[in-house]
Amino acid sequence: MKRIIAIIVALLLVAGLFLSALQPLLAEEDEVVLRVCSWEEYIDLGDWGEDEVIDLESGDIFGENSMVDDFEDWYYETYGKRVRVEYSTFGTNEDLYNMLTLGDVYDIVCPSEYMIMKLMAEDRVAPLSEEFFDTSNELNYYIKGVSPYIRRIFETHDINGVTWDKCAAGFMWGITGFVYNPDVVSKEEASTWRLMENRDFARQITVKDNVRDTYFAAVGALKHDLLTSEEFVNDPNYAMNLQDEMNDVSQDMIDQTQEYLQGIKNNLYSFETDSGKADMITGKVVANYQWSGDAVYTMDQAEEDDYYLNFAVPEESTNIYFDGWVMLKSGLSEDPDKQHAAEAWINFLSRPDNAVRNMYYIGYTSTISGGEDGRIFEYLDWLYGAEEDEEDVVDYPVGYFFTEDGDDTDYTLTVPAEQLDRQLGAQYPSPEIIRRASIMIYFNEQQSEVINRMWIRVRCFNIKNVPIAVWILLIVVFAGAGFLMARSRKLKKEI
Amino acid sequence: MKFSRKTLGIPYALFLLLFVVIPLIVLFYYAFTNGQGQFTLKNLIGFFTDPNTLGTLFYSLLIAICTTLVCLLIAYPVAYILATSKLKKKAVIIMLFVMPMWINFSLRITALKEILTLIEGNLAYHPFLNSVIGMTYDFLPFMILPIYNTIAKLDPFLIEAARDLGADERKAFLHVTLPLSVPGIVSGISMVFLPAMTNYVVLDMLYNSTYIMGSLIGSYFSAYNWHGGSMIALVLLGIICVFTLLMGGQNEEDARTGGAVL
Repeated sequence: MKRIIAIIVALLLVAGLFLSALQPLLAEEDEVVLRVCSWEEYIDLGDWGEDEVIDLESGDIFGENSMVDDFEDWYYETYGKRVRVEYSTFGTNEDLYNMLTLGDVYDIVCPSEYMIMKLMAEDRVAPLSEEFFDTSNELNYYIKGVSPYIRRIFETHDINGVTWDKCAAGFMWGITGFVYNPDVVSKEEASTWRLMENRDFARQITVKDNVRDTYFAAVGALKHDLLTSEEFVNDPNYAMNLQDEMNDVSQDMIDQTQEYLQGIKNNLYSFETDSGKADMITGKVVANYQWSGDAVYTMDQAEEDDYYLNFAVPEESTNIYFDGWVMLKSGLSEDPDKQHAAEAWINFLSRPDNAVRNMYYIGYTSTISGGEDGRIFEYLDWLYGAEEDEEDVVDYPVGYFFTEDGDDTDYTLTVPAEQLDRQLGAQYPSPEIIRRASIMIYFNEQQSEVINRMWIRVRCFNIKNVPIAVWILLIVVFAGAGFLMARSRKLKKEI
Repeated sequence: MKFSRKTLGIPYALFLLLFVVIPLIVLFYYAFTNGQGQFTLKNLIGFFTDPNTLGTLFYSLLIAICTTLVCLLIAYPVAYILATSKLKKKAVIIMLFVMPMWINFSLRITALKEILTLIEGNLAYHPFLNSVIGMTYDFLPFMILPIYNTIAKLDPFLIEAARDLGADERKAFLHVTLPLSVPGIVSGISMVFLPAMTNYVVLDMLYNSTYIMGSLIGSYFSAYNWHGGSMIALVLLGIICVFTLLMGGQNEEDARTGGAVL
């Protein structure tokens, strides 16, 4: 009897092995595999609690399953074809670039604007198809719903003559600034990049550990007087001049930033990659240089402990950034099915209810304003709108984001005044802040190298700073070790 | 196919080939080529002429030396007392020292961060000290265990003999126990010193913003300079090799002469 059972088990095992080996072969017939690579924690994974329903008047929005599963189901229901998403993540734009260079293959990825420019410049990106831009197709949620403000930026910026919008579809966007503790730091103090050098908060401020963000902040602090002068701000070409100034990579400027950063290094708590959010919440630091999406997340988390943090945007300039989907030539390899699935992926994420789900889940701001679909604005009102009996309320115009001409009064929220310095101000910055937002362009290879070297010099230990006591200690240690070794050898020889 | 002992070695050889030999070849290739794939010594010369890499090497060495010294100063007495005492619950105490190793390393450092914050207030004022404390906390068991094992295995009659021959306790320790425990010290040092030079996670987590070797290599890689980064890794490998050879030589000699030298 035992023998028979053993044989059956063995047979089952063998059969199982065969089946699992065969599975990919069987599946390939009628299934498109879409390899997606995006930022960590940058998409709704579903599984919301029941109290998290977003009950808009036009219907509830609720994240039951992960966005990836929902997309697979939606694609099958809509196009009658199975798609399987292989979803992977990356930690930084540079990591993604290294992964791609070392041979990882993806069909669609979601880097930041400067990395999109780099990939475009290197001819790795496949352009979006004409159908993608067809506004008459109901399922083209992206082109129908993308904010006119974002679309304009994508249409007016180019790399080697190709505008961004030809190849990239925005996913999330935001600005940079400081999350701060209003009990310790005043709004005025936090509203300048010079906060980093403020001795009153010595070793209580964290700054991003990444060369582009720190460079931008240092340039802002160094050019404070120019950037805030009346003459500069009121110039008709303000936007263009601002972008030129903030992207100044002349050798002189790089030298100055190096000196500046080396000078403030000892005034900071640390350069951080990920710990800043937690340290802000636990009160280890009083201000943290943050991307607006993470700022929203930080403020939300702190609020759960009845701890209120604010967000300030430096008066000199703020860095407006975008993360967008681009399709890679190496992945698609001109397979029309894959391209169709990739573009459907963008469109599915751009459907207003899905955009809301992602925003709610990760704290960043979607590039989608919804077009004719009013659910994004409805969500904003649901999230930030003042209660009827609230007293200290203000009107907050966000028309620049939702409409072509920007001053449509239909898109004005009535919100508690405090929200201006809090989540709303970070997630949907006011028009005055948007006015001083500057893009940080992609630096070419020589420029990047010079800036990277500068950054390494800032971070490395300067051997000239070694105090004499340390040299003496070192000599003593080495001499001692040498002496002991020599002595023990001598003793052994004597025996 | 005839099954021999050699067959058992095949997986090991494969493993070596895949995860040691091939990566080393890749490392050498990158270290001695430039972006166009041509042979160059520029990276090697760059390492020894760039004040940044030299400064970082110095800083890493400093951290590693301090960590090793502190570990040794704590570990030796602990190991000695544990090994020679007549304590009944010795195993329990040893366990207490080893147990932290069962807990995930980054969790431990996170906990340490909170404790240090309680004591120091603001961690940012003592980055070097904190790094050494963090590393010591992390690596201490690696120092205690080998020293404890060596001392515990010492023949107690050797000490007794020394005492019979008129040596007082201090002398017996200095001339018998200490020399005989050198192999334990050596393996303890090599298990602490080498990782302490590159373990930049501890520095990151304890807010030390100065680069050590590990973070410097990372910064080269994220600037897509694999050639410079590989060279740093290679030089580091060279330093470690020299270090191990020196230590190993010491060990072998001890083994040959029978250890204790009176």
